[in-house]
Amino acid sequence: MIFKIEDVTVYFPYDNIYPEQYEYMVELKRALDAKGHCLLEMPTGTGKTIALLSLITSYRLSRPDSPIKLVYCTRTVHEMEKTLGELKILHDYQVRHLGAQAKILALGLSSRKNLCVNPKVLKAENRDSVDAACRKRTASWVRALAAENQNVELCDYFESYEKAADNALLPPGVYTLEDLREFGKNRGWCPYFLARHMVQFANVIVYSYQYLLDPKVAGIISKELQKETVVVFDEAHNIDNVCIEALSVSVRRVTLEGANRNLNKIRQEIDRFKASDAGRLRAEYNRLVEGLALRGDLSGTDQWLANPALPHDILKEAVPGNIRRAEHFVHVLRRLLQYLGGRLDTENVEKESPVSFVSSLNSQAGIEQKTLKFCYDRLHSLMMTLEITDTDEFLPIQTVCDFATLVGTYARGFSIIIEPYDERMPHIPDPILQLSCHDASLAIKPVFDRFQSVVITSGTLSPIDLYPRLLSFNPVVSRSFKMSMTRDCICPMVLTRGSDQLPVSTKFDMRSDPGVVRNYGKLLVEMVSVVPDGVVCFFVSYSYMDGIIATWNETGILKEITQQKLVFFETQDVVETTLALDNYRRACDCGRGAVFFSVARGKVAEGIDFDRHYGRLVVMFGVPFQYTLSKILLARLEYLRDTFQIKEGDFLTFDALRQAAQCVGRVIRSKADYGMMIFADKRYSRHDKRSKLPGWILSHLRDAHLNLSTDMAIHIAREFLRKMAQPYDKTGTMGRKTLLTQEDLEKMAETGVQDMVY
Amino acid sequence: MSNQRKRPNGEREEDEEEDDAEGIGGWERDYVDERSWEALQEDESGLLRPIDSSAIYHAQYRRRLRMLSAAAAGTRIQKGLIRYLYVVIDFSRAAAETDFRPSRMGIMAKHVEAFIREFFDQNPLSQIGLVSIKNGIAHTLTDLGGSPESHIQALMGKLEAAGDSSLQNALELVHEHLNQIPSYGHREVLILYSALSTSDPGDIMETIQKCKKSRLRCSVIGLSAEMFICKHLCQETGGLYSVAVDEVHLKDLLLEHAPPPPAIAEFAISNLIKMGFPQRAAEGSMAICSCHKEVKIGAGYTCPRCKARVCELPTECTICGLTLVSSPHLARSYHHLFPIAPFDEVPTLTSLNDPRRKLGKSCFGCQQSLLGGGNKPGPCVTCRKCKHYFCLDCDIYIHESLHNCPGCESIHRPKSVSMEE
Repeated sequence: MIFKIEDVTVYFPYDNIYPEQYEYMVELKRALDAKGHCLLEMPTGTGKTIALLSLITSYRLSRPDSPIKLVYCTRTVHEMEKTLGELKILHDYQVRHLGAQAKILALGLSSRKNLCVNPKVLKAENRDSVDAACRKRTASWVRALAAENQNVELCDYFESYEKAADNALLPPGVYTLEDLREFGKNRGWCPYFLARHMVQFANVIVYSYQYLLDPKVAGIISKELQKETVVVFDEAHNIDNVCIEALSVSVRRVTLEGANRNLNKIRQEIDRFKASDAGRLRAEYNRLVEGLALRGDLSGTDQWLANPALPHDILKEAVPGNIRRAEHFVHVLRRLLQYLGGRLDTENVEKESPVSFVSSLNSQAGIEQKTLKFCYDRLHSLMMTLEITDTDEFLPIQTVCDFATLVGTYARGFSIIIEPYDERMPHIPDPILQLSCHDASLAIKPVFDRFQSVVITSGTLSPIDLYPRLLSFNPVVSRSFKMSMTRDCICPMVLTRGSDQLPVSTKFDMRSDPGVVRNYGKLLVEMVSVVPDGVVCFFVSYSYMDGIIATWNETGILKEITQQKLVFFETQDVVETTLALDNYRRACDCGRGAVFFSVARGKVAEGIDFDRHYGRLVVMFGVPFQYTLSKILLARLEYLRDTFQIKEGDFLTFDALRQAAQCVGRVIRSKADYGMMIFADKRYSRHDKRSKLPGWILSHLRDAHLNLSTDMAIHIAREFLRKMAQPYDKTGTMGRKTLLTQEDLEKMAETGVQDMVY
Repeated sequence: MSNQRKRPNGEREEDEEEDDAEGIGGWERDYVDERSWEALQEDESGLLRPIDSSAIYHAQYRRRLRMLSAAAAGTRIQKGLIRYLYVVIDFSRAAAETDFRPSRMGIMAKHVEAFIREFFDQNPLSQIGLVSIKNGIAHTLTDLGGSPESHIQALMGKLEAAGDSSLQNALELVHEHLNQIPSYGHREVLILYSALSTSDPGDIMETIQKCKKSRLRCSVIGLSAEMFICKHLCQETGGLYSVAVDEVHLKDLLLEHAPPPPAIAEFAISNLIKMGFPQRAAEGSMAICSCHKEVKIGAGYTCPRCKARVCELPTECTICGLTLVSSPHLARSYHHLFPIAPFDEVPTLTSLNDPRRKLGKSCFGCQQSLLGGGNKPGPCVTCRKCKHYFCLDCDIYIHESLHNCPGCESIHRPKSVSMEE
């Protein structure tokens, strides 16, 4: 359908539109007009992606003089493919209605592992070794060598891509990763480099968060994007954690050992070069003296990960004298490794600020801050000079230099924490030195500064006012949309008491109480007997899950559950979990019914959908607070309090509730779906906790469902499931329109949005 | 809320009272049995008010009617008048639950009984068989037959629930039975499923495909909640899937299966079937009937081919295998082929100024006034052909029982008479 939002003609590929999609577009359009950032919360299953894509592409079409570019960031490759699939439908529709002028170039960008078509390279099992295998065939010096020596192996795809040079272009269209590979195979061009090259011409780019947020990657991939770009972060409820991870480094003993081995190798290489080709090392030295930019004049294949610090924090200076010579640099690194090794030997937990860490490093190992700062670039240059291609082997030393550069650059917002063992297993020594970033706004700041509009959107962004504070930016629009439903297809409940009317909670002093464990067990036993097909349970942690299931096993509760449904678990092993999930789905399909035990914050809670019959009920046992004794968390809380005036309690609750919302949100992925959600903890009935749930859940949480006991919950569940099994009218009944047609929209444009929708 | 809180208590009290059933007063028993408190609902302001369900029922009925007529509009109406239906009743553990009164099992048996009678009333040429699921195994209660009494007897004798439920076993058993029936018959299964899971010995998907291949139309009525596998089964085999909300609803859903379903076009080949129209035996004549092997006086029919005596019609002659019917049976099946078109709903606003509306302020069927409370026009419908108005009750009655529009029939049309001649 085609309709107008203010002055923009929107092309929407479907015949009907949900009212909230329309509102979403209106708000988004206002944000684009204001050239500002925005924060939009809309429940999953309401077609967020297509609303976003069709508005932005239509906006671009309506302003032909100032074309905007769209960068769409997703969390996983799967989501990337899904987004591109939707874009394809939209693009076809627009081209059908507007002809060739609507043609755009849209592509997905991913790592070599996902894009490479060379079978020999693809044999490598992980991402880093694919990267290394590619470099081994495409690095400039390898290719130079191959010109003389026939036996050196090259990549045919890359060679023919290079030969085509400027003619290697993608025709307009929408390319998923699969399409890119296909195209590359047909033409014989390397899809990875082709995609990298086309990024600067593309109108729409879909890639992962890291390509914008991690300065190491963003420095190479995203530096050429223009200011008139709209950046979208989808499923962005955890964006602060991604930002923090991008700037955090941890060093273990194995890292140090590996780094030592790397240094030995480098040392040998230096010696070899000295004997054979001393000129090269001298040339590098001269280059460093002159302070030539280390990057920029390199060919695409030689590009390496960029500096881990953010672009505006990198000094544009020559490398300090004491590490210009290769041998000296290696010595400095050795001293650094020795110092770090010494720190790891500690028996106490230590926490330090970067400033004091650098000063003690200076006094004990004689390495000063400025030297540290340049470690990463210097290593990069050295490895280039030494023509090292198997970069995957050199990961440990890179990690150490990463660490050094970050410590040298940032004095605030970080802390260094050394723990001699894992808190949960105190008898196994496993020292770890962590440089952890506390300030999510650091990594995302350049994105906000550089681009005209940044859209942060997800199904759960509540409370919506906290995100601007965490990421320190000023959104021009921040709104939370409700879901318009043809029927009340979600049924959230807060269960506070067991069937014996005793309170249930996973509060620390109550969680091991046998009464609570029994009540939780009884709840599940009763629920599995009234809920058909799939039931998903989330626990607060692995250790709690293990404990409670062991008890259930002893008391026979587990056996009662298995009479009704099969039981599956999530474990920390990915393969095992995938297998369990697969069997869980089969059990749901064949009608046997199944229960899946999973952990909040685990892989399953974040990425797996339990839609339709795979999840008719989700039970959240307890409030999934973070492990509050973790040193890193404590340091971050302290920082948040001092810098952003966010109270510890507020942040912890916010974080726990967004995880809980994320967990229960797994069951409903579309409007035709239905599901129940049980928050089994008495603390959820408190206003401060409950109010932090997203609006679309809260609006269905009736007052009568706030303080339930098991038997009442069972009764409600029975009624709800019966009601949902009845046939219903998809377009909504008289009072509430839930599916708008073209005419409805036109009427709406006249009367104003608000009166029509609610 | 109040009824939710009350209900568990109510159940408990009642269980105690059930133990000394003698002591319970009649008025009290009525109250307990009818569960009148469930017909109350709490509105926004917390006031109790009775649930007004008639509007909902009518809306549901309209939708059903529209759906049926939409299905029929596209193609030539073909209906399977000779149906071979197996009713599968799930007597697993879940059937003992008491959310229906007195138990799911009891309610199922009660309404299946009513259904069997209604079924034979509407489909005199068809046959029914009964299967039960208990302890994970499917048992044949009765083989296919045309006598309602024998089915009902067999059903009532076996009322107990235990063990798991197995959909696959039931389907396999029914499939085995129905595979042998002649090709002109329509094979149907109606499953009353109270369990929420099925424990199967093998891959149920294969069984479903097998049923699909041999054109078994499987319908399921669930008693507790929607199950994926049941939905899948119905979708694959072209049946209906529904879940009962309460007892009345369950009854409606069951009776919905009484009229013959539209035949699947590709399978509906026209066939000639040999039938006999036996004469009723003369009063006072004595004969041994071939079905019960008993001496009977007067009652019974004589097969026109082999002259054997049978007790009831319709049936199959036990001696020569001829299908025996009487002509009223055929006529009764006939109306399914010529359904009345659904009536149009009259919009309440415009009808005020409608001159025709002023004339007939009462329903043409029952002569009751169509005006609701306060002289406001109540909801009504109109026939497309004769333009007479009918109230909602008459609407349902005409479509579901009468199968003739009183308005159209009362118009004197000499032309149509000559055509009929």
